[in-house]
Amino acid sequence: MRRLPVVPSAIACVLLVAALADRTAPAASVPEVLIGDVLPLTGNFASLGQQYLWAGQTVEDIINNDYADLAVPLGPGKGFSGLGGAPARFIIRDDQSRGDLARTIAEQLITVNRVHWLNGDGTSGNTSIIQPVVESYGIPMSCHPCASPTLTEKGYKWYWRTGPNDRTMVASLFSFLTEWPGHGGPKDLKTVAVFTCDNLFCQDNRKIANELLPKLGFQIVLDLTTKTGATTLASEVQRLQAANPDILFLVQYPPETSIFQGDAKRAGFTPKVIATSNGAYSDQTWLEAQKKTNGGAGWIGRDPTAIDLVHDRPSWKKVNEIYRKYSRGQNMGELAMREITGLLWMADTINRAKSVEPAALAKAAMETDTPPEQLIIDYKGIRFDKNHQNELATGVVTQIGWDGEKHTVWPWELAKRAGFKVLHPNPGWQERESKPKPAS
Amino acid sequence: MTLLLQAIVNGLEMGFLYALVAVGLTIIWGLMEMINFAHGEFLMLGMFGAWWASVAFGLDPLVALVPVGLAMYGLGVLVYRQLMRRVQRGDPFTQIFATVGLLFLLQNSAVAVFTSDYRYLSNTLLTRLSDANLHILGITVGVPLLIGALLALVLFLGLYLLIDRTEFGLALQATAEDREAAMLVGIRPQKMFAVAWGLGAALVAVAGTILANFFAVFPQVGFPFTVLAYAIVALGGFGSILGTLLAALLVGVVQSVTTVYLPPAFKDAFVFASYIVIGLCRPQGLFGRF
Repeated sequence: MRRLPVVPSAIACVLLVAALADRTAPAASVPEVLIGDVLPLTGNFASLGQQYLWAGQTVEDIINNDYADLAVPLGPGKGFSGLGGAPARFIIRDDQSRGDLARTIAEQLITVNRVHWLNGDGTSGNTSIIQPVVESYGIPMSCHPCASPTLTEKGYKWYWRTGPNDRTMVASLFSFLTEWPGHGGPKDLKTVAVFTCDNLFCQDNRKIANELLPKLGFQIVLDLTTKTGATTLASEVQRLQAANPDILFLVQYPPETSIFQGDAKRAGFTPKVIATSNGAYSDQTWLEAQKKTNGGAGWIGRDPTAIDLVHDRPSWKKVNEIYRKYSRGQNMGELAMREITGLLWMADTINRAKSVEPAALAKAAMETDTPPEQLIIDYKGIRFDKNHQNELATGVVTQIGWDGEKHTVWPWELAKRAGFKVLHPNPGWQERESKPKPAS
Repeated sequence: MTLLLQAIVNGLEMGFLYALVAVGLTIIWGLMEMINFAHGEFLMLGMFGAWWASVAFGLDPLVALVPVGLAMYGLGVLVYRQLMRRVQRGDPFTQIFATVGLLFLLQNSAVAVFTSDYRYLSNTLLTRLSDANLHILGITVGVPLLIGALLALVLFLGLYLLIDRTEFGLALQATAEDREAAMLVGIRPQKMFAVAWGLGAALVAVAGTILANFFAVFPQVGFPFTVLAYAIVALGGFGSILGTLLAALLVGVVQSVTTVYLPPAFKDAFVFASYIVIGLCRPQGLFGRF
């Protein structure tokens, strides 16, 4: 029998034991919980990334400081009580809105920084690139505002999402349009033009619309995809105008949306309904800009929460106060709310796991049953299905009023509470000009 | 037919704006044969300049284009003296890396100073006219875009006269063609290069102040325009001011007309396809000199 070399074997054993000891350290010995946060802080999606950055800073603040009267997970008390009061430390890295860089950074965060949880990148396309890396290393990962249904449909073991996916939210939008006639709405909405950008997020929305609309009795008269980063959309508007749809389903980012608005105004294009899905409709700066022009009045969109009603929640107000410390005074938009809700759930999961060991975290994540009272958003709670998608995340339909604010119009029970009379038809450009502008 | 005519008119209006964006590059790249990947970032700074002048001082972008243009002229000269002069005689790759570095520096500085928020100008002279349209033979011509296009045309013609009809312009061209020969007749090439960079930066920034009326202002706004500007300069012919104008109009019309009849994804594909066709048949571009 061959003898193993003694010295190398001993060194290997020591290293193995050291490595195992590090991964399975007892709860109380964790000096801090490391959260890797890969975000698009520069590049094309930087406006989204900065909201997620502020959301992360808000949650780190909530975890590490004692907010005794804040009724959200880890609000009262300092640090993770389940880990002997260990604080959280977010390690934030900028991926420049590039999937390849996001992948490299994710790998570094896992292997060099030894993070216990990875969050990011906030866009579905780049997140889908990070997912296989995280899966191969076997640590928990989340992206809460990422809405592409495919992210939770690939059978990944280590990926969780608390936010609703596009299917849920787009279905909400079309449910509203279908049920609207029964609630005093117009009965003549039959045709739809779908106008989307070309990335994963837009194309998912497009596919869902193409799948759902015919089933609901709508006829798609035009389906146009345009390049992200367009400098003009005048010809696209010409084609939309020629198709003359009752409903325009528009999924575009803020720069393209404002180009569309300019070209549509010039061409006098006014469909009866403009229905949007995220993109500009979720961007606080675009929404604020509409208050100076009435440009968004009458636009209908999907949201994960009744944004006009959520302000009444004391926890929302307090969290928003903390958020404003980091956001140069901006209020939380719905993307930030989705991210904060998800990160607070992550903190709660780590706390309940009483460990940073991946298997324990995964077990705690799957045992989640968070009631709606603990959330700053209108989900019916947090509970995961077999794909790690929160099955209690909901979609809400809102409309921008003449006051420039979003008002809930669906589901009907929330709409009743909001008490807003739906604007219909979508106002013409002349009317938008003549009405007083909320910002002035 | 109306659809086609409308598309052509839309394309021409955008084409004039593209021309103003591209002409700065014509001077730096086309005339001086120096590469500048940060061209779009100068445009972005012009847009932020217009936004800042409007928010801080209530200046309309059409007024702000004068101080913004002057400030950007200074920045262009500074960039040449501090950066490009040092890499000018080196490998073209050095110029590429230097200007790519400049691109990231300017873009990320804008993120740091202004954040990545989208900003919009409202209540400017052109946005107030956004309802005004001319209707000619069933064709709608938006007045604000028409004013922007005419302004671009005036600036463009001014530049054409400066480069082609003045001693200064001839000195600039002479420097571009043969630096040593230019020195023999008393022209200081370093000064000419610095002026070219100043002019290039100022012109694209002025284009930015006009575009700020129509587009969201944000740190990454320059990139799509840079891509188009490179295609336009190459299509029009290196160093040809008039060629740049015609190429820009062609690009505007090609973009607009193809989108009316084909999926919009082909919009830029046809722009670059037309560049390839002209490149194969006439490699010096439509009005190139070599």
